[in-house]
Amino acid sequence: MSSGQVVMRARYKKTAKAPGIQGVLIMTEDKFVFTRDDNMSSVEVDVGFRSIKGHKFTKEAPQNKALLNLTQEVKGGGYIFEFDKFSERDICRDFVGKVLGKLQATQSSAQDANVASEKPTITVHDEQLSAEEMELRMKLLRDNSELQKLHKQFVIGGVLTEAEFWATRKKLLAVNASRTSKQRVGFKSAMIADVRPLTDGRTNKVTFSLTPEIIHQIFTEKPAVHQAFLNFVPSKMTEKDFWTKYCRAEYLHRTKNAVAAAAEAAEDEELAVFLKQDDILAREARRKIRRVDPTLDMEADEGDDYIHLPDHGILRDGSKEITDTEYEQYRRTLAQDLNRHAAVVLEGRTLDVELGDTRTVAEALAKSKKAELATEKSDDKANQERLERVSRMAEIEDLQAPHNLPFAPLFIKDPREYFDSQQANALKALGDAGVGTKTINCSLSTGQAYGSLRELISEMKVTGLSDPVVKPEVALKVLNGLTQHLSSTKYNLGKNPQESILDRLPNRTKEELLHHWISIQELLKHFWSSYPITTAYLYTKVSRLKDAMAEIYPNLQGIKESAQSDFRHQVSLLVQPMLQALDAAFTHYDADSQKRSTKSGERSNGFI
Amino acid sequence: MPQVKIIAKNFMDMVAALPALKLDKLYDNTFICEAVLRSLPPLAKKYVLQMLYVDVPVTAKSMEEWVLADGFSKHRVAIDRLIQLRVFLESTDRKKETSYRLNPKFQGNLQKYLVHGGVLPRDPMSSSITVRLPTLEELESYALNQWECFLLQLISSGQAEKTTNFSSSMIEVFQRGLLSQRGKEAPRLTESGFQFLLMDTNAQLWYIIREYISNSEERRVDPADLISFLLELSFHATGQAYNITTLNEVQRSIIKDLADLGLVKLQQGRKESWFIPTKLATNLSVSLSDSSSRKQGFVVVETNFRLYAYSTSKLHCEILRLFARIEYQLPNLIVGAITKESLYSAFDNGITSEQASIISFLQQNAHPRVADRAAPAVPENVTDQIRLWETDLNRVEITPSHFYDDFPSKDVFEAACDYARENGGLLWEDSKRMRLVVKADIHGLMREYLQKK
Amino acid sequence: MASAPSKQYSDDVSLLMVLLDTNPFFWGGTNTTTGVLSFSSFLTHVISFLNSIILLNQLNQVVVIATGFNSCDYIYESSTSEAIIVNSDNGQMPALCSKMLQKLEEFVIRDEQLSKENSPTGIVSSLLSGSLSLALCYIQKVFRSGPLHPHPRILCLQGSPDGPEQYVAVMNAIFSAQRSMVPIDSCVIGAQHSAFLQQASYITGGVYLKPQQLDGLFQYLTIQSRRLVPDMGMICTPTDPHKPNCATYP
Repeated sequence: MSSGQVVMRARYKKTAKAPGIQGVLIMTEDKFVFTRDDNMSSVEVDVGFRSIKGHKFTKEAPQNKALLNLTQEVKGGGYIFEFDKFSERDICRDFVGKVLGKLQATQSSAQDANVASEKPTITVHDEQLSAEEMELRMKLLRDNSELQKLHKQFVIGGVLTEAEFWATRKKLLAVNASRTSKQRVGFKSAMIADVRPLTDGRTNKVTFSLTPEIIHQIFTEKPAVHQAFLNFVPSKMTEKDFWTKYCRAEYLHRTKNAVAAAAEAAEDEELAVFLKQDDILAREARRKIRRVDPTLDMEADEGDDYIHLPDHGILRDGSKEITDTEYEQYRRTLAQDLNRHAAVVLEGRTLDVELGDTRTVAEALAKSKKAELATEKSDDKANQERLERVSRMAEIEDLQAPHNLPFAPLFIKDPREYFDSQQANALKALGDAGVGTKTINCSLSTGQAYGSLRELISEMKVTGLSDPVVKPEVALKVLNGLTQHLSSTKYNLGKNPQESILDRLPNRTKEELLHHWISIQELLKHFWSSYPITTAYLYTKVSRLKDAMAEIYPNLQGIKESAQSDFRHQVSLLVQPMLQALDAAFTHYDADSQKRSTKSGERSNGFI
Repeated sequence: MPQVKIIAKNFMDMVAALPALKLDKLYDNTFICEAVLRSLPPLAKKYVLQMLYVDVPVTAKSMEEWVLADGFSKHRVAIDRLIQLRVFLESTDRKKETSYRLNPKFQGNLQKYLVHGGVLPRDPMSSSITVRLPTLEELESYALNQWECFLLQLISSGQAEKTTNFSSSMIEVFQRGLLSQRGKEAPRLTESGFQFLLMDTNAQLWYIIREYISNSEERRVDPADLISFLLELSFHATGQAYNITTLNEVQRSIIKDLADLGLVKLQQGRKESWFIPTKLATNLSVSLSDSSSRKQGFVVVETNFRLYAYSTSKLHCEILRLFARIEYQLPNLIVGAITKESLYSAFDNGITSEQASIISFLQQNAHPRVADRAAPAVPENVTDQIRLWETDLNRVEITPSHFYDDFPSKDVFEAACDYARENGGLLWEDSKRMRLVVKADIHGLMREYLQKK
Repeated sequence: MASAPSKQYSDDVSLLMVLLDTNPFFWGGTNTTTGVLSFSSFLTHVISFLNSIILLNQLNQVVVIATGFNSCDYIYESSTSEAIIVNSDNGQMPALCSKMLQKLEEFVIRDEQLSKENSPTGIVSSLLSGSLSLALCYIQKVFRSGPLHPHPRILCLQGSPDGPEQYVAVMNAIFSAQRSMVPIDSCVIGAQHSAFLQQASYITGGVYLKPQQLDGLFQYLTIQSRRLVPDMGMICTPTDPHKPNCATYP
């Protein structure tokens, strides 16, 4: 497929229903050629991919034919090929997809954005995308018209590549990806321990029947058996022997014959493995206990435990569980079994192996366990988190600030410098730069300054407040001044101070402005993230972006001019920051390219 | 006897009702200026401050510049109130332009207040005199106790453990409108009486004080003096003792009545006697909407209509008995149930379920444990059921109306019908027999109209 | 009739935090130039204004914080009851005034003792970030004090120029005020506009004012205080027509 040419036997059809002509289809990077079998000399079809708009194909199903339809840009036209096998069709389909994608990328940069199809088409470039990822991007574009507009404008318009466009939206993709996990079939909630041994009634023979499903479940519920299986089979015994032994152990448990179990375990160390309590489980339990919420008060439930009181306990298989300290280690309580089973069921099936061969299941399980343990060990976070929780719970909740508020700390390298520019802006905007530069007369020494302040205060303490506080004429002047100021601004500001200027503009202008603002942001984001320019690729990207931004200028000018006279001022106020942002980008671009050109003069073999 | 409307009208309505001369005289007192200012709607307060140092009239037009479209009604209310209280003086010039300026006396007093602060006509007892004064808690419980006694005496003279010094004629004045007596029967609470009992203390106090003031002329006391003394009293510090000798003759007689109401506590020293204002007195100038005087609630209502009131007060028990069946009474707990029967007897007495009545009483007096929960303080099923029981009784609506017949011609009849309809007063018509019924409030209009015909 | 219980006082009740610029270099500087407010007349205006706030409603609370050159501190709290009871010594001035002047004097002395150099150079700004934080702390305390609390509001009376080195701290205070819905009103009495306070008022929805007629400061303050009360949404507020340049963060 990577060879750049595909040769495949196929049937060429004019319509899907037609029987078609048998022949050979040859696809190359720029065109595809079909020659019929019966007339090798004449070429039936010879079409360049340039004229192909897209491709369709049938779903892989027994009742379907393996069809591939290459649709032409001219309406209605298309080339349908039928293949013998779906796999053959797929090879062709993938090839076509790749070629079309490549074509579109080169083509579209030359083309106008309007020519692009209505439906967003995803074109594949340097990155190889799975079908799901494509689907996801399509869906995102469909759902978000804003995004679609941007995509259409910049990706299809050739300003940005597909990869560049999505690179800034990784989060969007990731969030959506996480949602698409499949549901898996879990374990049955019935306990395997309850799989009854069958007795035939005549002999002393007891039959256990084990299915792969049950074996899988045994492995997950009883790590010791799992371990033993890996150790003994097939080096020490056959699988059948293993299970026989296991069943024997089970049988001993079931008959509650702790004494017999102890005796047999002493003779047969392999059997003992099954009979003793599961070390691995115990270890795991200890680990879990360590992770339990430290503030959980276990003692509170102690009173509920009736099991150890006389005449209390759980009936299992008709007999009561007896506590016999002597054979403690061979005892297994129902509670333990139940808990373990519940834990496994809740954990779910972690394995994605076809059940069948016991050995592979066992090994896969072991692998996944190991991985699990590794991750658990590797992150010390768990412990850290636990400690945090202890400290958190120990403190009084309502004294705590809310945890984990998503925030980005404000970080400014040199606040002074930043502030100065802000201040300068503020002053400029207010038009009193002349006053602003005046600094306070600071000739006073500290002592003098404080002294005069103290003097004034103590003077006031004696004389009290001067009366009247405000002279009537001054009060009137202030009041009138403010009233005048109000009446002049009131009608400009509109009724609702919360209403932004945007809301009062005509809808069309508002939308245009917003759209331009968004596209400028998108372009600027890419523009600034390309600096410093270290590769030729970035260089071309920046110049592409610059050209696209240059196109926006006249548009903004157009909006400004088309606005009605009463809104013109406000529109130009709104447009101003956009222009400023663009100007800044251009200034940077020019400065950078100038630097670059002087540098490249010194170093002739620069990458430009 | 005219129907007494139980509206917790504030003091200032009475002040506003005074004749201009007396009103202006009241403004000689800085404290009255302050109290009046505090009683104003927020917007009006701002207008006063804004005009405080302006000594020429400001046109109404320029004041309206400040008002946003949706604030106009509030602006109107504020201006009306200011004019009513003669804080703003309205004047119209030749061009028929209205302008306002502050009442100079009022203005001067406030200006002085801002710079020099307010000075009471009397100083509290200096700390050098060693007399044990009641603590604020003692004082508060004294005030409430006194007030409760008074209320008990008011609603059922027999119930009160100790009676106040009010003359029986005075008590009768207070009772007017709250109780009614039919023949030889024991007096029964009227609808307004019920509402009165369910109001909060401040509102009740206001009602009583209002009655007290309106009755003052019969006792040959000038209402303006009374008002000014009461307002002044509200600026005294709670819990401080003031010498009675600083009061004039009239005031001394008033202070005794006020002690009965719990507004002040009288304390007899070795040589001199003192009066100590309680919270009830200092809250007098507080506008009604302020909830600062709200007491702690005590009632818990359960969804099964049972009611637990954590209270030792006899009065509370009496109030609850108005609409609930009291089952047990423990030292600090009253247990009852809201039943259909108990509510019917309440409705019978004219008490309503809605505002100022049972439901709002239960809500306002909800025990803090209940009130602090997010859920409604009174279970919704209970409030709904109370309303349902009430509407059960109100199947017939009564509209006062007039009946017309004997029209000379069909034309006259139809014109009359149309006229009534235009004025929104047509209730019923019978064109066959030429009869119609109109609402009572357009009767005058109708008569004029028909006479013209 | 009285409404169902609510968590707030009626609209009329407010808590006003006033930040008073007591930078001696600012006030010392203004003394020499004519036509500018002197510290004593500034105090006269402010104290009368505070008096008028308390006059409007006895539940209104006023807290004054002095913004000094080296430090800042609370100098007056109206909620401490003694302020009301004890009348002025000779009826010369309101209780508020004498108490506040006393505390202010002590504050200035303390502030002076903290001074290091003899004569500071460059921009001599007051500790705005510190007093903003103090005000916010107080407001938080009030918020947590009980179910009923007044509407808080901060009023900055600032004369000294902004101190660039406080930029981050001031902005943080502003954002925290915004989060807790506390509006910051500002009244600039210095020669130049304050970029800090423009942003503070803009972000928190307060009023920014730079009075032209400084001897009418009281009048400006009362008009500005319209916004002290939520009801005043009905009323236009004179705020400086220039919206501040909104901060954009790198």
